Amino acid sequence: MNSLAKYETDAPNEAYYGLPQEVLFCKTCVISNQRPNSIIEQKHTKESKKPVIAFTDGICDACRTKNSKVEIDWNLREKELIELCNKHRSKDNSYDCLVPGSGGKDSFMQAHLLKYKYGMNPLTVTWAPHIYTDWGWKNFQAWIHAGFDNILVTPNGRIHRLLTRLSTERLLHPFQPFVIGQRHLAAKMAALHNIKIIFYGESGAEYGNPIANNNSAKRDFKEYEYFTMSDDSDVFLGGTSFKELKEDFAFKQHDFDPYMPIDPQICEDKEIEVHWLGHYVKWHPQAAYYYAVEHGGFQAAPERTLGTYSKYNSIDDKVDDFHYFTTFIKFGIGRATYDAAQEVRSGDIELDEAIALVKKFDGEYPARFEKEVFEYVSIHEKEFGSKIASKFKNPIVTRESFLELCDEFRSPHLWKFEQGQWKLRHTVFNP
Amino acid sequence: METSPHGVQSLMRNIRIIARLDVKTEHLVKGIQLEGLRKLGVPNDFARKYYQAGIDEIIYMDIVASLYERNSLLPIVRQASSDIFIPMTVSGGIRSVENARAALGAGADKVGVNTAAIKSPQLISDIAAEFGSQCMVSSIEAKNTRINIWEAYYDNGREKTGINAIEWAKECEKRGAGEILLTSVDREGVGNGMDIDLISNVCDVVNIPVIASGGIGNIAHMKDVITHTNVSAVAIAKILHYGDSSIADIKAALRQLEGIEIR
Repeated sequence: MNSLAKYETDAPNEAYYGLPQEVLFCKTCVISNQRPNSIIEQKHTKESKKPVIAFTDGICDACRTKNSKVEIDWNLREKELIELCNKHRSKDNSYDCLVPGSGGKDSFMQAHLLKYKYGMNPLTVTWAPHIYTDWGWKNFQAWIHAGFDNILVTPNGRIHRLLTRLSTERLLHPFQPFVIGQRHLAAKMAALHNIKIIFYGESGAEYGNPIANNNSAKRDFKEYEYFTMSDDSDVFLGGTSFKELKEDFAFKQHDFDPYMPIDPQICEDKEIEVHWLGHYVKWHPQAAYYYAVEHGGFQAAPERTLGTYSKYNSIDDKVDDFHYFTTFIKFGIGRATYDAAQEVRSGDIELDEAIALVKKFDGEYPARFEKEVFEYVSIHEKEFGSKIASKFKNPIVTRESFLELCDEFRSPHLWKFEQGQWKLRHTVFNP
Repeated sequence: METSPHGVQSLMRNIRIIARLDVKTEHLVKGIQLEGLRKLGVPNDFARKYYQAGIDEIIYMDIVASLYERNSLLPIVRQASSDIFIPMTVSGGIRSVENARAALGAGADKVGVNTAAIKSPQLISDIAAEFGSQCMVSSIEAKNTRINIWEAYYDNGREKTGINAIEWAKECEKRGAGEILLTSVDREGVGNGMDIDLISNVCDVVNIPVIASGGIGNIAHMKDVITHTNVSAVAIAKILHYGDSSIADIKAALRQLEGIEIR
């Protein structure tokens, strides 16, 4: 049977990942209704159905969130923030709040405002990128040098690489180990240092996660209750159950720790609260760039990120290029789409400019760090042993094997195979 | 004693002060290192103000022209040419002799070319042959890569070329460019001073006038670049757009410099 038949037809009837069959583009930005929402990654397998961004009257939830902000009284919100800070501010110079971040423009501004404008004493914590870019490392240092204590948490490289490989192989999601570790670090560090308040930057609803989650500035830890009653066969990393990771990949129980959430009971006992600074202070990513340059010598990347036009946004991890390339393959949404959608919503660019940017840059193959990233996820026998290496069809990753893998993740409702080439069936410039 | 662009020894060196207006669709914009472009207002409101305050020239730079493959400056320049009577350069989106003709027809005195010349250097010769070298400004976006090495970039500092910027400046002159607009991608919008090494390196290898752009954050930075390099003109943006310095103050300060003539 022709395995490409489902891609060659003009009437595809299959949509992977539970994505909507009909592809729609938001009327006011460039995002499509194929954008998945954040999920609990430890339940994520290849078979998972993804919830997607909601559209109402042709407008996406991220734009609706932005529009609803027009009516916010920011003076009132700032007063609330000051009250919150007054309640928590330490009198003995101990840490009174925790700011998770990378030293990118947003976390730079978060920590800096809290310390120098609102008189708090933040501890900053960082979950290390897979592979630092030179400029990402410099910006991280510049952040610390602007006056912050920082704890950098770097997971066991062998475990992290293996998980990155598995999440690539089984979910085409090389960024998953980073995402999981980063998500869970803050609360655990807060508990460890007896800090009661965690400040994130912008809430997920800014980018289209359900608006219902957005009305309160606090995040509850309720969803983590799942883990307290689950066992090894229904918790996953890299789309692989803990059971399989232990049996086939030689994981030990403690290897999972960095990727597990805090016990919600600890948060309750220690009265840990999560707040988004973006709830209290009008957040504009471009303004954060200016702020970080002016107050701390933050530097944009010396070259644009492949797959987009931007040089200042999420620039510290060499795996990042591949992350957005894989979202382009799975959902038809690449880095330029995410960047341009945000900038349209923020009023920095016009819709027609955003569409031109998507047309020009989205889905560009990320060749620049390819060699290093492929080496990072290659499972060499001499390093991992033959038992683990033999679990992979191609233990050593090459461009050819990577692109072959990508093809398995192309949903027929999004992709057409025509004259020897892959083509998106629907784009924002040709819906 | 300084050498003038024509190789004639002169006592006084004439320095032009140029306002650079980066334009995106109908907005005047300003970035930092050509990134994070902030909308500041209507370009001609700023241009008129600078003209009235005594600026010597204006450069309009359409910074999304390559992206859209069109130049949206013409209506802006056409409008400006009715009440702004100083040399105006249009740069961004000039991809052919015909594009240059249209820009000059709209009231521009010179055209700047970067992206299209990188892709086809012959365009420099063609424009120079058709309209004269005095019209043909080679716009070079240079990024420092190693000590004393700069790479030419295009698409508003986003795309690498692998071409050595100093060599490229020589090539532009050889092909008929009458002037070089030299932008330091590293310094642009930062306001920490110009890349003096870059500018002197380029001034040393070409005989045509060099306009330095990128990095002026105060008047002292202007004095620096004028006294330490053979630059013919300095393009400024940030300190004018944000109102940090006035053109009168800048000119008054520069007139104090020995051997320097300011209009």
